[in-house]
Amino acid sequence: MTPSFLLVLVPLLPLLAAIATVIGGRRLGARAHLPAVVGIAAAAVVALSLLVVTARSRGNAETPRPIDVVAPLWQWATVEDAYAPAHDSHAAVPGTAVGEDAYSARPFSISIAMRLDPLTATMLVIITSVGLLVAIYSIGYMHDDPGYPRFFALVAMFVFSMSMLVAASNFLLVYVFWEAVGACSYLLIGFWFQKPEAAKAAKKAFLVNRIGDFGLAVGVFLLWLTYGTLDFHDTFSPDGTILPGILGQTRLADVSGYVGGIVGTAICLLLLLAACGKSAQLPLHVWLPDAMEGPTPASALIHAATMVTAGVYLIARSAPLFMACPGALVTVSIIGMTTALVAALIGTVQNDLKRVLAYSTISQLGYMFACLGTGTLLGFTAAIFHLLTHAFFKALLFLGAGSVMHSMGGVIDMRRFGGLRKLMPITATTFLIGSLALAGIAPFAGFFSKDEILASLHSKGWPDVHHSTENEHHAMIPDLPSSRSRSGTMHDVGYRGVSGDNNHSNSHQASNLVGLDALNQPAVWKTLFWMALITAGLTAFYTFRAVFMTFTGPLRIPDEAGDHAHESPSVMTTPLLILAIPATLIGFILFTTEGLAHFLAATPSFTAPSIVETATASVFHWDLAIQGTLAAALGIVIAAVGHLGRRSDGPQLERWLGPVRPFLEHRMFIDQLYAAVIVKPIEAVAFLAAIFDRSFIDRSVRFIAHLPLALGGVVRRLQSGVLQRYALAGVIGVLAIIVFLAWRL
Amino acid sequence: MTTSLETFLLLSPEITLFLAALIAYLAAAFSGLRAGWLVAVTGLGIAILVSGSQPDSGSTISSGPITIDGFSFYIRLLTYTTGLVLALIQSGDYWKAAVQDDSSQHRRRGTGEEAGTFLILLAGLSLVGLANDLVLLFIALELVSIPTYILLALKRTDAAGQEASLKYFFLSLIASALFLYSVACLYGLGGSTSLLAIGNQIQSLGSLSPPTVEGSIVVGTITASMAAVLLPVMLGTALAGAAFRMAAVPMHFYAPDVYQGTSTSNAAVLSTLPKIAGIVMLARIIALAIPPLGSGQTIGPVAETLLLQSWHLIAIVAAVTMTVGNCMALLQNNLRRLLACSSIAHAGYLLVGLAAVTAAAASEQGQLGGESITATALTLDGLGSSLFYLATYLLATVGLFGGLIYLGHRWPEWSTSSSKRPRLEEIETVDDLNGLSTTNPVAAFCLATFLLSLAGIPPLPGFWGKLSLVTSSLSIDGGDAAFGDRKAWFIGLSIVLVLNAAIAAAYYLRLITAMYFKSNDKGVQADGGLSSGLAMVVCLIVLLSISIRPRGLFTAALRAGNTLSGNIATETMPPQTIQIPPEDSMFASEIQKGTR
Repeated sequence: MTPSFLLVLVPLLPLLAAIATVIGGRRLGARAHLPAVVGIAAAAVVALSLLVVTARSRGNAETPRPIDVVAPLWQWATVEDAYAPAHDSHAAVPGTAVGEDAYSARPFSISIAMRLDPLTATMLVIITSVGLLVAIYSIGYMHDDPGYPRFFALVAMFVFSMSMLVAASNFLLVYVFWEAVGACSYLLIGFWFQKPEAAKAAKKAFLVNRIGDFGLAVGVFLLWLTYGTLDFHDTFSPDGTILPGILGQTRLADVSGYVGGIVGTAICLLLLLAACGKSAQLPLHVWLPDAMEGPTPASALIHAATMVTAGVYLIARSAPLFMACPGALVTVSIIGMTTALVAALIGTVQNDLKRVLAYSTISQLGYMFACLGTGTLLGFTAAIFHLLTHAFFKALLFLGAGSVMHSMGGVIDMRRFGGLRKLMPITATTFLIGSLALAGIAPFAGFFSKDEILASLHSKGWPDVHHSTENEHHAMIPDLPSSRSRSGTMHDVGYRGVSGDNNHSNSHQASNLVGLDALNQPAVWKTLFWMALITAGLTAFYTFRAVFMTFTGPLRIPDEAGDHAHESPSVMTTPLLILAIPATLIGFILFTTEGLAHFLAATPSFTAPSIVETATASVFHWDLAIQGTLAAALGIVIAAVGHLGRRSDGPQLERWLGPVRPFLEHRMFIDQLYAAVIVKPIEAVAFLAAIFDRSFIDRSVRFIAHLPLALGGVVRRLQSGVLQRYALAGVIGVLAIIVFLAWRL
Repeated sequence: MTTSLETFLLLSPEITLFLAALIAYLAAAFSGLRAGWLVAVTGLGIAILVSGSQPDSGSTISSGPITIDGFSFYIRLLTYTTGLVLALIQSGDYWKAAVQDDSSQHRRRGTGEEAGTFLILLAGLSLVGLANDLVLLFIALELVSIPTYILLALKRTDAAGQEASLKYFFLSLIASALFLYSVACLYGLGGSTSLLAIGNQIQSLGSLSPPTVEGSIVVGTITASMAAVLLPVMLGTALAGAAFRMAAVPMHFYAPDVYQGTSTSNAAVLSTLPKIAGIVMLARIIALAIPPLGSGQTIGPVAETLLLQSWHLIAIVAAVTMTVGNCMALLQNNLRRLLACSSIAHAGYLLVGLAAVTAAAASEQGQLGGESITATALTLDGLGSSLFYLATYLLATVGLFGGLIYLGHRWPEWSTSSSKRPRLEEIETVDDLNGLSTTNPVAAFCLATFLLSLAGIPPLPGFWGKLSLVTSSLSIDGGDAAFGDRKAWFIGLSIVLVLNAAIAAAYYLRLITAMYFKSNDKGVQADGGLSSGLAMVVCLIVLLSISIRPRGLFTAALRAGNTLSGNIATETMPPQTIQIPPEDSMFASEIQKGTR
């Protein structure tokens, strides 16, 4: 079986499962989970084998070289001669390796093509394995729900869409499945659509995401206008010339292959807008906390582990585009870090266990964005590393919260229960493991990935320090044939490095662009680093506040739980136990072996010369590790002082925070701000528009709509049903035609 | 003209159908209810296999009075596949009729006559595509018409049915007579019955003479000035013949009355098969003025005039036809009447592509001084678009009628007082479809998809068809026209098409609204026989696969269109998506090593 075939299987199996569940779900009844579980399990096995195949194909070679397999399935539609690049546009087609035909018109062809590379393989494994565990867990969690088959159909559909999103080799397909995962998310948030809050939350998530989707759509349009293709990979035109794809080898090898300047920055910012929508970053983060109205397994899968990371994936995939626009890169970091800090602050005062986790998700995604924005190889791989570890430990935490909610009769307010560690030992233990991983305590998974994130930020803020470190390990850096004279740019890896990499034709434009580039300074990066450290402390605090409130102290059970509060069934605890293993070990394994970083470095997107030359030997930064651990430990200690053994969120915290507390409890009034600044004005405009619509537009439309009807009435007169008249009318018509032809032509 | 063994070989699919028809007629005397349609389906299956096995080398094979090229190949396959689905539908319809009448009249009569007649109709239609001779063309057209009369007359169960069959009969006679007039004119122009010879004559007419003394030199038997008189008459009457079969203005009047009066299955036949014939007739006549590619032939002023007049004519008729059809459809409440009006409108859409290809050919002649058509000119060939649209239209329409027949009857109003079983009522009006999504969700989904495709909603095939029609129409450049500029004409035509698509959406969506958003306590019986249900589902599957991968059908239609409009072998393939292996990594080969 070829890799291409296996690659098609990964999304195909969940799709078949979804179709089977839709068709036969009612008949299967209590076994409606079977197609989804079997389909996703098979997909997970295939995805793992793909990962092995990809990793093996990398071999033991020292040089990270691009690995990708493209499986073009079919051409969906082609519009000939759709794109005619301007003759002076060097941006559209890299000058090298392309013949003169580069300037001829090109067809707009929508190719259904999938790709396999290290990034995709990693994402596929995360999606299918977490998906599988969540599906198994849901057997217990969702039982007796009237929408049982619907739930599993949606989960399988989501796994299909998400696998397609990360395996698509075309921006248009990415867009399609970007929308598809959004639709699945909408349907799952509103799964209990009878509940008004759920319906409202689903609507909110959908509408907020529309803003991001709009960004993606316009970004894709701009990409098409700029590059004349939407394919990631290179294609051959019929006459044998190469049409360079946006992320194809031809363009990647070209130093001036990517457009900077205003257009490039606009593309990147639009993609960033899209990523902010999907990954719940400021200012579009408001939907994610409300999305917790959906079933908890769906929250774990979609709103913690996988779908929300689509934004991180998109930016990582488009890394070469961002590298040409340093202003956009630093914007990514600033948005990410601000989000991380704000969400962590809000998370400290939430009393709803799932909401704490939701804000934590936003905050952790902010971390990933922050280190994506560093624009170094370390930054990109660290983001994906954190994405991986976060997927496992956050899914674990969510499923643990679901287990608590399940046995507490649907109550999730931490003030109403406590001391559950004796009642639910497995849940408590695994939740603690997840919390340690989230807080970043060695040796749990989150510690290592967070350390790399801090290191990548630190290297931007203090380039000189890292300069010396890098020199020490210079021998370890593989020699790259494609990269330009390394020694010359080595010490530029800092803030000037990125703009120095900017392609030469556009550098004069890019250097004085909108002022964004001015932000790319060590001072800014230093601030970001300190924000990251503070966030690390806050993370540990809110996590352990939740742990202490839920599991320690005297046992308290809400009335809704009745008298059957108990540990969850084994079908739910087994996924918890399984997830606890990667949450504990995966960080250590992947960090010490450096497997993931090396593996990901072979992703075509990360082999652009501008990224390769930022490569540093990954070293363990003791100083950063100590700083990070200290921050986390401080957070845990404060949480312990405030909440260990206490029944509720006591006055202690209130005294500490003072007037800030209501501000945080109301989520910094961001929702209210949006309501006042955006929603109300829009409603006012809509009200006026409605009046105008009813009084003027409707009337004119109705008038126009009456025209065909009136014409039809006239024509109908001719349909008298009398044969002779029909014949006469026909003959007169023919005579009229003949006369017209003879007279005018 | 010689008729050789090769001719019979080339005609083997049609001969198969005639033989099958004979068997069906004979079997009718002995067999039961469905044997006739069984024979029909089998015969069609064999005919499709036989015609598929004939090599489609892309070259033109002329033998005796027939010619096989990419165009006739496409038409033949289209005819037979449509016929196969229609045969399935009709057998279902017969079943329904037998259930409906308790009288054993139907059961005794058998179905052989209908099946056999239907097969002859299909063979005739295929011959229309093959005909390379005026006589054969006319006979083939009559082979389409006469079985249609019989089919209509066989189903004359009530007064409305009789009225419908008589109306169709007389109006069809008039159309045939007018077309015969056109045939006579063509013979007068060309001095031969062979289309090839007529084409050569028309293309060379007048061009040998010095342009200043036009009309004074006799070429062959007629002068160019005589041609100037003959051409409008020929075109007008030919259009009358084609317009009747396509149900286009000004010969469209019969359609609503006949569709309503006759049975649903007959309406399905009428709205699909004659349309193919109409397109073929017009395409063949236009092709007379276009020299084959690479022949280096120049065409004379007569052929230029023919092209000029044809595209004006077809464009006007197209615009009027779609507008009239759609406006009339808005007012209809009877389903078959509504579909009749919709089929009128679609005839208009189909003509847009023909107008575009004619204008494109005319523009090539003008620009190149009558040299020959360049290979790149017709990449988005208008005729190709029409043929593509034809296929998508046939698919959706056949599926739609199949669905209606499958649904069969409404549940009647039962009253406990009357002991007699009430008479079953067929699904007649839009309101009868109310609430179908709850009573029969599968059928509702199929019907809705067909309707959406007809309305041209992406990504269904109807959308791709309309898109290619519009693009082919918009690709026409400026040039002479009766009023204004040619480009303006075609931009106008595109606008009319798009506006009409919007109008059409109104009544298609009305049906969908009825099915999905209205409730009905009565429901439908779905007693139309499994075979029509099968036909409906098959149409849906094909429709959806074309939506996912429209290229195959599109390329086929493009090739067929290019063959006829002089552009043989100018197929433009899309860029193949091939991964370029990076210089220092041969991942694919390594993987093979790894998995071994």
